[in-house]
Amino acid sequence: MAGSSNVNLPPGFRFYPTDEELVVHFLRRKATLLPCHPDVIPDLDLYSFDPWELEGKALGEGNQWYYFSRRTQNRITNNGYWKVVGADEPINATKNGRKIGIKKCLVFYIGEAPGGSKTNWIMHEYRLPEGASSSSRSKTTGKAKIDYSKWVVCRVYEQSCGGNNDANTELSCLDEVFLSLDDLDEISLPN
Amino acid sequence: MPENMSISVNGHSRVPPGFRFHPTEEELLHYYLRKKVAYEKIDLDVIREVDLNKLEPWDIQETCRIGSTPQSDWYFFSHKDKKYPTGTRTNRATAAGFWKATGRDKLIYSNSRRIGMRKTLVFYRGRAPHGQKTDWIMHEYRLDDNTTDLKESNAIGETSQDEGWVVCRIFKKKNHHKTLDSPIQSSIMAEMETPLESPRDQGSLEQILHQMGRSCNQDIESMNKNNHPRFLKPTAITAISGSGFQDAFMKLPNLESPNASTPSCQANCYKSQPHFQMPTADYDSSIANSATFDFDMGLNDWATLDRIVVSHLQSQSEASKQLACFNDPSVKFSSPSDHEDLQLQQLQSLSSSSNKSYPPTQDYNNEITDLWSFTRSSMMSTSDGPLCHISNAGI
Repeated sequence: MAGSSNVNLPPGFRFYPTDEELVVHFLRRKATLLPCHPDVIPDLDLYSFDPWELEGKALGEGNQWYYFSRRTQNRITNNGYWKVVGADEPINATKNGRKIGIKKCLVFYIGEAPGGSKTNWIMHEYRLPEGASSSSRSKTTGKAKIDYSKWVVCRVYEQSCGGNNDANTELSCLDEVFLSLDDLDEISLPN
Repeated sequence: MPENMSISVNGHSRVPPGFRFHPTEEELLHYYLRKKVAYEKIDLDVIREVDLNKLEPWDIQETCRIGSTPQSDWYFFSHKDKKYPTGTRTNRATAAGFWKATGRDKLIYSNSRRIGMRKTLVFYRGRAPHGQKTDWIMHEYRLDDNTTDLKESNAIGETSQDEGWVVCRIFKKKNHHKTLDSPIQSSIMAEMETPLESPRDQGSLEQILHQMGRSCNQDIESMNKNNHPRFLKPTAITAISGSGFQDAFMKLPNLESPNASTPSCQANCYKSQPHFQMPTADYDSSIANSATFDFDMGLNDWATLDRIVVSHLQSQSEASKQLACFNDPSVKFSSPSDHEDLQLQQLQSLSSSSNKSYPPTQDYNNEITDLWSFTRSSMMSTSDGPLCHISNAGI
């Protein structure tokens, strides 16, 4: 399951979903029992895996791993636990600004709560908002109320100390210095 | 919105949701550009051919759209158009402006073998030399002339014709002012950013430099009247200026073709540019290769950069017009060793409370922390020492 090789794309294409895509094209379909296209994100049972065990189990792309899980408050793994940091962040649709999901940030601690030691492993856990969409759907379709809260989709990655992830594709700090030095220089002809 | 036909079938994008074209530099050079040069067909035609002189950066977005997913960067092939029939300079002017090279070309390696070069360019509106800098950045990748494989594949003798192909990536420089001000973006959230977004330190440094430039312009005059003793005249432009390194650094924006810049200009630069150096080992091996260079300099150089930022922060909170000299041709930074002892003393007395005396706004705390994490990671071998005097140096 490692990588997105089962999707037949030329070199250079990678699974880098936006928050919105993750919610709309994957989590929402999962929750409504529709098949995901492409079906690349696997189900993992709750949170029993330590983040470094995800390789080969979750969908891995670069240094990020994606998987579905059943929603739970018990985020204890074999060797540690995930602890919530910060406040939940709404995911809004770019089209109409409507709230389509909620993103929670967690940090992995090794050991037993509350005495674990913090790691660089970060999780973004996305869930669908309760109430709003499910009630509107049950009204319009008349079907039994779907429990949207069952599933979450998780993105896990190890935060790198140097922030070198985009070293090739962004301006480096040195580039920025050069850019600012250009201002001091008289602009010469483009070469 | 019409989809790019080449990558869609019957109006449906062939790129599934969640997938983006995010090639590595190696993929760009080794797979795409080499296929282009060899006239091989490229799957899905993801990278299109563009006449750089006819398209403004903001139009390239539309032309180079891949599927229907939102993009933050765009890729295209371009054939370099010579500015003059006999010269080697490339014409990168459009109707609205021009692309200007910045920094030095970066060597691209694959399995520790040179495969190509990357040039960074900035788009300016208007006509040189009065262009106005924009946030549009281009990375232009070209295959290494010495790539043996390339020569083999082109043994027929068409090499000379194909050397003009480059593969380019354009993007808008990230502007972090908004996110810094956003109430949602707490300092904790800042740590949580996904790797998709650029590291914080880049935006912070950009912001600092931006504001530095601004305050510099405002303060030049007062600086002239009130020459601050903090910035001493350098004793001399030291021995390394002869080695070519000094030259290389100071003329970096233009150095792409050293022959092109006039000798008189270079001579002036020695006098008019601030004495301001950076360690290059981690960043640009080409600079390091081009000159013999004592790496112990690194510590001092960062101290210099450090001091600039300190000065800037102080000028924000209080007076401190020193920074003006950054932009002032008549004034130079002291050579780093002049102040080293002073800094070390300050460091020792202040390292314990360094965090508390920052300006009170959270934004600045973020910036400082991020900048330090950047500097620290770049210094590796040096201690944290010179960084800690941020809060009080120069008072």
